[in-house]
Amino acid sequence: MAILSKKDTKLITDPFLDNNPITIQVLGICSALAITAELKASIVMSISVLFVLGVGNVVISLMRNIIPSKIRIIVQLVVVAALVIIVDQVLKAYAYELSKTLSVFVGLIITNCIIMGRFEAFALGNGPWRSFLDGIGNAAGYGFILILVGFVRELFGSGTLLGFPVLGDPIEKSGLYSIGYENNGFMLLSPMALIVVGIIIWVQRSRNASLIED
Amino acid sequence: MEHIELFFKSIFIDNMVFATFLGMCSYLAVSKKVTTAVGLGAAVIFVLAITVPLNWMLDQYILQPGALKWLGAEYASYDLSFLSFIMFIATIATMVQLVEIVVEKFSPGLYNSLGIFLPLIAVNCAILGGSLFMQSREIPSLGLATTYGVGSGIGWFLAILAIAAIREKIRYSSIPAPLRGLGITFIVTGLMAIGFMSFGGMLTGGDEEKKAKEDVLSVTEQPLGNLTTND
Amino acid sequence: MDNKTDKNLYTILFAVGMVVVVGGILAFLSTSLSPAITANEKIEKQQNILYALGINNNDGTSAIFIGAKEAPDAFKENVTEQIVLTYKDGEIVQTQTRQEFLDDKENGGFEPYLIDVKKQQTSQKEKGVRQLPLFVGKNKEGKTLYVAPIRGKGLWDAIWGYVAVDEDMVVQGTYFDHKGETPGLGANIKQRYFMDDFYGEKLLTDAGVFKGITVAKGNADPKNERKDDYKVDAIAGATITGDGVTAMIKKDLGLYVPYFQNLKK
Repeated sequence: MAILSKKDTKLITDPFLDNNPITIQVLGICSALAITAELKASIVMSISVLFVLGVGNVVISLMRNIIPSKIRIIVQLVVVAALVIIVDQVLKAYAYELSKTLSVFVGLIITNCIIMGRFEAFALGNGPWRSFLDGIGNAAGYGFILILVGFVRELFGSGTLLGFPVLGDPIEKSGLYSIGYENNGFMLLSPMALIVVGIIIWVQRSRNASLIED
Repeated sequence: MEHIELFFKSIFIDNMVFATFLGMCSYLAVSKKVTTAVGLGAAVIFVLAITVPLNWMLDQYILQPGALKWLGAEYASYDLSFLSFIMFIATIATMVQLVEIVVEKFSPGLYNSLGIFLPLIAVNCAILGGSLFMQSREIPSLGLATTYGVGSGIGWFLAILAIAAIREKIRYSSIPAPLRGLGITFIVTGLMAIGFMSFGGMLTGGDEEKKAKEDVLSVTEQPLGNLTTND
Repeated sequence: MDNKTDKNLYTILFAVGMVVVVGGILAFLSTSLSPAITANEKIEKQQNILYALGINNNDGTSAIFIGAKEAPDAFKENVTEQIVLTYKDGEIVQTQTRQEFLDDKENGGFEPYLIDVKKQQTSQKEKGVRQLPLFVGKNKEGKTLYVAPIRGKGLWDAIWGYVAVDEDMVVQGTYFDHKGETPGLGANIKQRYFMDDFYGEKLLTDAGVFKGITVAKGNADPKNERKDDYKVDAIAGATITGDGVTAMIKKDLGLYVPYFQNLKK
């Protein structure tokens, strides 16, 4: 029961590890650094990008034969911006609470170069279905790293996961804190996100030698 | 004085790369060699210096609530700020492509060294970030907006120049193989960002506090003075 | 890419077409959705003010508003008066009740809680005149509180809030919000552990001089047991957002001081 052919499956699975947008293609770094101090924000951002990249890739792919090559970047940017604004406005009208959670990410999604990068590299040259899969795959790979970094930073930085204390209470000195453990507030600062991603790259490339740069 | 303050602030304290982490993608991807880094950095300064003032005018005269007053009183109630993203980004993309065409026509030499970076710039979030910060920080005049654009550009230029120089040196060090290239660049950038945080300390430690105090005094002392005389 | 898409005329036509289509969609959406959006924003303001008054559905450690459906009724019931102070060049020159403000065709004519703080701040900067709304209500214990809106700048974008004080200007409740502070850092100003810290903090010295509340680093008093030090504990890693909170409390709440001095007399 293969719904997806082998080539199509590869489109989704490849970006997860061997061609990960963040650690290999170097796309979407800014947002990966800005919002990963908290696991919840990482998850919300991943889902938003999944949506925008999936739909955006299809739209661009459908338009690929009529877009004038001279102004293709403008067209791509306008498509992303319009998509994001539409979603933002609709949410504000019908799901206000949700829109408040997302409003922080609106700007970050538009400027997220993973979206432009995939439009340019894939959607402009492929059909809608394949572009959709590529979008989903890349967004998932991106989200995977985001959630990983968010997990590490929130756990060691604030001792919580998704806002729930998992290591005990630092003020009451319960749980781990009773034996002298301290939160590493440094983890919450953005430079640490860079270092965590650096370490993820290290681990990933030690496991797969073919990715090592000369 | 205002200009100098904003200029240095946008280079060091609010450095695009190290303080707000904008424009990271091209920063990491195009910093293998100093020469290419200089090219991209120069292009970023150039584009920021043009687009920030341009978007400032757009914001001031079209987008802000009540900005359409100059068209007549009946337009004063319009609020087009929901269009800021799309307008800013369209301006940037248009300017980048215009600059590309002009440079290609009139200075092929410059085009050869700068041209390949221009398409990269339209997707550089530092550029849109510059305009959005200009809007949210409510920069009051066109002159200051230009200063801010140039300053942020120079900040970005310095950052990419520094990392490119480090990467050229690091080539000769014995780094664990899997960490070579991108991995070590990430970690070095993280360390540099921690270094740059010291500039932020300069701001919050001195000037700003004094200024805030002065503001508070001027706001509160007067009404209270009145009251004590009443008593 | 086939040849026709490279022609200049085609490019221009395409650009024009795209602007028309995208602009049309956005304009249509914006006009058709704006009533619903405005309604939501109104309710949110009411929820914010009620939150500061202590009327909320807080559960455990998370901050939860009163439900959107109940908010308008709860607002009517609990916010008994909305005063508008007109501030001009360092003095309060006029005090209007809600009804007076509604009848004031020139400067008012709408519900005082809808006064746009950002516009008033600009007006203060440009003309020296500013309307200061103040919402009078009762908390759950029946104590009369005064809620004032404040607004300032964080690291990335605007931050704002509502502060409820009693007649001695001792803080009885706060609500803070932000447009785009860093999640996990500056964004935590809207977490209960930060907002609750302000409860019981004094804004005035014993001599009646306005001192404000400083969001201070150093962790000297992490449980915030000292209520007379004019300080609350900062969020680690969110210095600039914290400084923004300090500044907006000083700048905006300071303007209300003369009103409270008069109230005491």
